[in-house]
Amino acid sequence: MSETTATAANDRGFWGEANYPGIFGWIFSTDHKRIGLLYFWSVLTFFCVGVLLGLLLRLELFAPGETIMSAQTYNATFTLHGVIMIFLFIIPGIPAAFGNLIMPIQIGARDVSFPKLNLFSWWLYITGATLAVTSLFTGGGPPDTGWTFYVPFSAQTSTNVSLAAVAVFILGFSSILTGLNFVTTIHRLRTKGMTWMRIPLFTWSLYATAWIQILATPVIGITVALLFAERVLGTGLFDPAQGGDPIMFQHLFWIYSHPAVYIMVLPGMGVISDIIPVFSRKPAFGYKAIVVSSMAIAFAGSLVWAHHMYTSGISDMAVMIFSFLTFIVAIPSAIKVFNWLATLYEGSILLDPPLLYALSFILLFTIGGLSGLVLGAAAADVHVHDTYFVVGHFHFVMFGGTGMAFFAAMHYWLPKIYGRMYDKTVATVAWGVIIVGFLILYISMKVVGMMGMPRRYYDYVPEFTGLNQLATVGSWILAIGLILMFVNIIHGLFKGDPVEANPWGGASLEWQIPSPPPTENFGEEDPVVTHGPYDFKKAGIL
Amino acid sequence: MNPQPLITTTEAVDKALYVIFGISCIALLGVTVAMVYFVWRYSRKRYPQPLSQKDHNVWLEITWTIIPTILVMVMFWYGWDGYLSLRRIPDNAIPIQGSSRMWSWLFTYENGKTSDKLYVPVGQPVNIRLSSEDVLHSFYVPAFRVKRDCVPGMETYAWFVAEEPGSYDLFCAEYCGVAHSSMITTVEAIPAAEFAGWLAEKPVATSPGIGLLQKHGCLGCHSLDGSASVGPTFQGISGRQVTVATDGKNRTLSTDRIYLKKSITDPGADIVEGFPPAMPSYADQIPAEEMEGILDYLMDEEGNKAEDKGPIEAKQPMEKKVEAEVVEEQSVEPTATNKPAIPANPGQTLADQNGCLGCHSIDGTRIVGPSFKGMMERERTIIRGEQKEKILADSDYLTRSIREPSAEVVEGYPAIMPSFPDFSDDDIKALQDWLETLK
Repeated sequence: MSETTATAANDRGFWGEANYPGIFGWIFSTDHKRIGLLYFWSVLTFFCVGVLLGLLLRLELFAPGETIMSAQTYNATFTLHGVIMIFLFIIPGIPAAFGNLIMPIQIGARDVSFPKLNLFSWWLYITGATLAVTSLFTGGGPPDTGWTFYVPFSAQTSTNVSLAAVAVFILGFSSILTGLNFVTTIHRLRTKGMTWMRIPLFTWSLYATAWIQILATPVIGITVALLFAERVLGTGLFDPAQGGDPIMFQHLFWIYSHPAVYIMVLPGMGVISDIIPVFSRKPAFGYKAIVVSSMAIAFAGSLVWAHHMYTSGISDMAVMIFSFLTFIVAIPSAIKVFNWLATLYEGSILLDPPLLYALSFILLFTIGGLSGLVLGAAAADVHVHDTYFVVGHFHFVMFGGTGMAFFAAMHYWLPKIYGRMYDKTVATVAWGVIIVGFLILYISMKVVGMMGMPRRYYDYVPEFTGLNQLATVGSWILAIGLILMFVNIIHGLFKGDPVEANPWGGASLEWQIPSPPPTENFGEEDPVVTHGPYDFKKAGIL
Repeated sequence: MNPQPLITTTEAVDKALYVIFGISCIALLGVTVAMVYFVWRYSRKRYPQPLSQKDHNVWLEITWTIIPTILVMVMFWYGWDGYLSLRRIPDNAIPIQGSSRMWSWLFTYENGKTSDKLYVPVGQPVNIRLSSEDVLHSFYVPAFRVKRDCVPGMETYAWFVAEEPGSYDLFCAEYCGVAHSSMITTVEAIPAAEFAGWLAEKPVATSPGIGLLQKHGCLGCHSLDGSASVGPTFQGISGRQVTVATDGKNRTLSTDRIYLKKSITDPGADIVEGFPPAMPSYADQIPAEEMEGILDYLMDEEGNKAEDKGPIEAKQPMEKKVEAEVVEEQSVEPTATNKPAIPANPGQTLADQNGCLGCHSIDGTRIVGPSFKGMMERERTIIRGEQKEKILADSDYLTRSIREPSAEVVEGYPAIMPSFPDFSDDDIKALQDWLETLK
């Protein structure tokens, strides 16, 4: 009897070996896979809360005037929706959850460089999240500033902005430490034969992301610390009556928050770059170009922040420079799209759920990226800035991009981690429902924005009613699709059929070890890498 | 001169929009068609093995780097070119002050007339000079494709021309608090002749009390007709029984003058039940006289009318006029006791506007320079060059010490005063008249 249990535990890989009993085996674990799963379930929980808040916002906007909530509640709700989705879902989403789960295996390492720091990062994340939630129920009530915390409003409002600022500060440190850990790991812990040009593109994208996390995130820490000082001490740095400047806050805020957009989307691009070759049975086309474009985006993306500020009162010269740089940063993104398409060309394509979600990334990200060109052009931006066009745009890029990549990663890697498969037909149906709802919801937003409806509007003029109702209906369809997808995948992970080591036919290292992976991934001997991550011939797939 | 035809803001923005939309649609179509076609053409059912293992093609990659680069440069150029049109104000544009505050707009025209809707003549460019009294706002008229933030502490601008008469939505596009989405008004484009007539009309329609409420933006959130808004209505506010939350505890009170004043200067102290704690404090924003006017109106509308103060004008034109009046009204005796809010003495106004009072007190205390109190016709010891000298402070001395202050410096004070060569003889006379009253 005891022998059978032992065998079962061994088959369950890292699931069977915990250093502490019960829940402590998770929250005090330093295993990168356990920490990855802690992150995964935490960010998923906050994603669901964020979706719920988004649905409430759409419901309120179903008709002009008060529909289900007061103006103050609405303002707090969209603030919370933004803060949760950005700081608690998208930024940690792919890097902290799937990066932790997969990256060390992809480079043939037993764990990250600093496992205890890794656990500490998760604890910081939970602390920050707890404070953010606490800010809703204490002090002057939930913050009502929008996730951008623009002064002077944020310095004056009586709501609990100070505590939310502290929460963002702590979450920033979680992000910085994860970045530090990943850069070190990728430099120091690659196994024998894992040269830089054999690193899978997902890990490459995490590397580029990690540098932005390390270099840009301290700026948001400084920004919210100054906001805190403004509120608590009355420093006046952003108050013109005391020699300060409210526009300086916007610069500081976007110096982080624009690069943060690339923290959000680069790992998603990495997921897509890993999935498409596997399901086409072809090497990633232009591997080096994708690597270079990731690093180029990470660098150039740090120099375009003021394109959020064309109408803010900055000089015309600044507008010209930032508009120009913004268009430059569009080029590497376009190159990636062409590379993905060329990877499909002459392949042997299997439309399994991970590829479906990856292809919808390409479609939705392209629409989002192209609408970004409207925003990057100075004159066009003046009309659509701070309207629903922007809301539609960033949902296409963030949700249609990063969100879809997150779903693709779930369908691609979770069977490896859990050792079980979901129902592929249901996953495909859910995908279809999600795409239909998504397009109805966010295209309506873009059109109503082009007509001139400003964002963060609790109430609107009657001519915008039709499109707002269409968007709300879209949000319901999208919600149904999401429920279907989550129920299917969660059911599959716990009750589905067992999967073998390499269900998709991948050539990178994570597919060479059992599903679920053992505790230190590769057993006694470190693997020796002899070919690239997409060399399906040498890997024996073809 | 051959004047170039005016490019309207709508044309400038739409050109950029069309170019970018055109390029984007083609690009999106290309990407989508290629993706769907490849997925269908190279499906695993058709090809169990891939046709090739090609992983790069230098010429292809160079091509798809160069073509997007050219396209984005084209788009950048159209965007920038259109933006320049938005920033270049036509010479004949009429200036209008656009002031924003939570949560209403106030427009002030050249002759001092104010309105909360923006009236513009058809076919005539207008230049809206934007300012904010509290937080960030943004002036946005979708029909004319113009948007510019209103930033506290600096003036921004936006120009446009309405080519067709009509009423166009004007939104606040920068989030500014609970009633952000109610910060809406309209641009009323009317024929030029009608506009001139409207501008000349005296704003007699409203009582001074309502004028003050409008001026300070009270009506953005408080209605006059009993309808619910962001804040409680003003209708029947005097003596109304209200339940307020004070430090988290509810109490019922009857609104009187003291309560109303407190709720204007310290709105967070007592929050009326059922309303959000959203109102900013107006403690430093409403001059004492106007505060009394507002309270008079709110407590008793009839009593306010009896005073007949005439139409209320906006703050800025009034300040400008004071300067012009200085010369005409030199002989006017100070009447400070009767009219406390208006600087009664032209000399005092001059001293105030030129910053004299930063260094010279009027009550005998020593700041940086000698006090103005009892200054005139007194004997002073001055240092001229290296030598001490005793002189009488007369009008000649006053003229010298304003236009060339470092030539003679009163003993014991630093020689740091800058010269004020722009003071005319009349100005100095006015100043002297005032100084003589400071015994």
